[in-house]
Amino acid sequence: MTATVVRQNRIARNADRVGLGAMIVASICLVALGTRLVSGPMVSVIVLVLILDLVGVLVLAARGGPEARRLLAPYGLLKPGMLWLALFFLAPVWSLIRISLSTKESRFSVNYDFNWAFQNYTKAFSDFGSQFQRAFLYAAIATVLTILIGYPLAYVIAFRGGKYKNILLGLVVIPFFTSYLIRTIAWSTILADRGFVVRAMNAVGLGNVFEWLHIMDNGKLLNTPAAVIGGLTYNFLPFMLLPIYVSLEKIDINLVNAAGDLYSSATRAFRKVVLPLSIPGVFAGTLLTFIPAAGDFVNAQFLGNPNTTMIGNSIQDQFLKQNNYPVASAMAAVLMVSIATLVLLYTRIFGTEDLA
Amino acid sequence: MSTPTPKNQMTRRQFLARSGALGALGLSLPAFLAACGGSDSSSSGGSESLFFDNWPLYVDPTADGLTGTVDRFMAATGVAMTYGEGYNDNNEYFAKIQPLLGAGKPIEADIIAPTFWMAGRLINLGWTEKLPKDLIPNFSNIEDVYVNPTWDPTGEYSMPWQAGTAGIAYNIDVTGREIKSVADLFDPEFKGKIGMLTEMRDTIGLICMSLGIDPSKIASFEDAAPAFEKLAQAKNDGQIRAFTGNDYTDDLVSGNFAACVGWSGDVLQLGKDSPNVRFVIPEEGGTSWCDTMILPKGVPNASAAAKFMNFCYDPVQAAQITQYVQYLSPVKGVRDELAKLDPELAENTLLFPDDATKARLRSFATLSEDVEAKFDEEFSAITGA
Repeated sequence: MTATVVRQNRIARNADRVGLGAMIVASICLVALGTRLVSGPMVSVIVLVLILDLVGVLVLAARGGPEARRLLAPYGLLKPGMLWLALFFLAPVWSLIRISLSTKESRFSVNYDFNWAFQNYTKAFSDFGSQFQRAFLYAAIATVLTILIGYPLAYVIAFRGGKYKNILLGLVVIPFFTSYLIRTIAWSTILADRGFVVRAMNAVGLGNVFEWLHIMDNGKLLNTPAAVIGGLTYNFLPFMLLPIYVSLEKIDINLVNAAGDLYSSATRAFRKVVLPLSIPGVFAGTLLTFIPAAGDFVNAQFLGNPNTTMIGNSIQDQFLKQNNYPVASAMAAVLMVSIATLVLLYTRIFGTEDLA
Repeated sequence: MSTPTPKNQMTRRQFLARSGALGALGLSLPAFLAACGGSDSSSSGGSESLFFDNWPLYVDPTADGLTGTVDRFMAATGVAMTYGEGYNDNNEYFAKIQPLLGAGKPIEADIIAPTFWMAGRLINLGWTEKLPKDLIPNFSNIEDVYVNPTWDPTGEYSMPWQAGTAGIAYNIDVTGREIKSVADLFDPEFKGKIGMLTEMRDTIGLICMSLGIDPSKIASFEDAAPAFEKLAQAKNDGQIRAFTGNDYTDDLVSGNFAACVGWSGDVLQLGKDSPNVRFVIPEEGGTSWCDTMILPKGVPNASAAAKFMNFCYDPVQAAQITQYVQYLSPVKGVRDELAKLDPELAENTLLFPDDATKARLRSFATLSEDVEAKFDEEFSAITGA
């Protein structure tokens, strides 16, 4: 009896470390399998290690007593997420970085020699600098536009929606039940040269104004920078609107009333009460919009022209048409790092503790 | 003493069992994924199956009371045939099959339809199977010009599917006038309304001819450099709306393209429904090309594929394909058969070029490996994004 208790205590004291260790070992095994670092019989060995590792923890939990289970529980909860990320995030990123520093064995080879080929990165910058710039520029403009459109809309739905609140929100979301691709291609039909939008604008003389503003170009609205930015704005609007709506919806209307009672004007009450309280929503919306928009290639593909290509198009082209995995990987890595840096900077400058 | 209540223990056990199950799920995933990679769907059962992955608008469908070639073939042979239109661009398709064929694994399709130069590349890479010619007696009907062609010097690996011409396709509703010359593609009047093909040999070939360079005699990048400069200039000026694969037809019909580089048969077919869409071999001349039928390495249904090739090289069948697709047939005797179906079409010089037309057509030179790499790189720098 005593011996069992002593043993259980010893196991319990170490369960913490064992749980952490087992999780790390399992993650490493999955990364090794996912990146195909191992091959042949070693695969079976790794799989065996992985099984033993996971079964071992279970045995320890079953036999180790309540204290051990208490200490192991957090790792058990973390494990599904960790292992998922190990296999589907860490392993691909590892492969990506590795290929980005490799060279092809020959022009049509599917094998890559890892040889610290930093020239891939030089090429990514020198040949595709303008596509990087364009991606960030278009994404930034689209983000600002989604704020300008989304904020007032969210404000009206949150504060003036009344019993129609859910219907209004539904109207915002329902179009997005259709595939992203189909919605974008639909825009190319709507904006076509002989489509009704261009015809209607020309009929009321707006065509010339738009030409003068450089929104239209030689009678076309489709395949212009304006169409690409418009497409991005349209497609990412709900990602801006919904977080803003959530943060506005939480605001206690009594706070606004109190500001009024204290002789604040409506504008001032908005500026001093509503706006600061909704900033977390704008912040979250910005991240949800800017990050995917910067890497987007669908809008530029269907709504753009050869001079409006974004970095996503270049990566897609290098991967899927030119078969140039090393340079494509280098571009993808640069894109990831630049976005991460921008987001970190943004968080530092504007970030708030309580994200919506 | 410190044992928890049974109820409590149950929940923890359950919890552990469930997290264990999740872990096991994660564990089995790699094995599952690995199993997916090496799937070989060997067709069981009696009847043969066949999958031909081809370009769009490239075979006569069953419509308007006529039975299409695929259906006629299935009725005649009992082979269960799937006909795909997976080709939009040679390089794109190559990139799709490269990871499998390069690793020595078979692809899904039994017959693929690369253009002649791509067929040459696949043959050189050893990614194709020899045609079982003993099962294709109609091979003898092949037109003389396609016997042992440059891309397949021994003639063992490929059979032409259709041949054709690249020229200018235009929508007269948008242009407001007939288009005659490649120079029209660079007319500022059509700024932003011009389409070019991602098929480098056709786009660059046409521009070369307009600059007085013979594309059949190109040996180095320098020979074609002026054409690349002209194209890059036009792209930077915003003259070009899009670089497209076979999907140029949509923009042409809708009027987004005033004019574009296009393929003869496609445009002739479209012209049946949209008379405003027209095709012309430019004054400076056009390029001629040929799409082939190839058996990718490790093809699962070679004998069914051979049956289909044989079927299509019967002039009676081939004539019905030609009547619909309106390309140049590589099969002898098609003209006589077509004359019975559609006498007017049998006299069309786009389908059966006379000597005067032939003299205006050039086929792009065979490029050496290094030169081709240079061409591809320079071309993708302009088109690719």
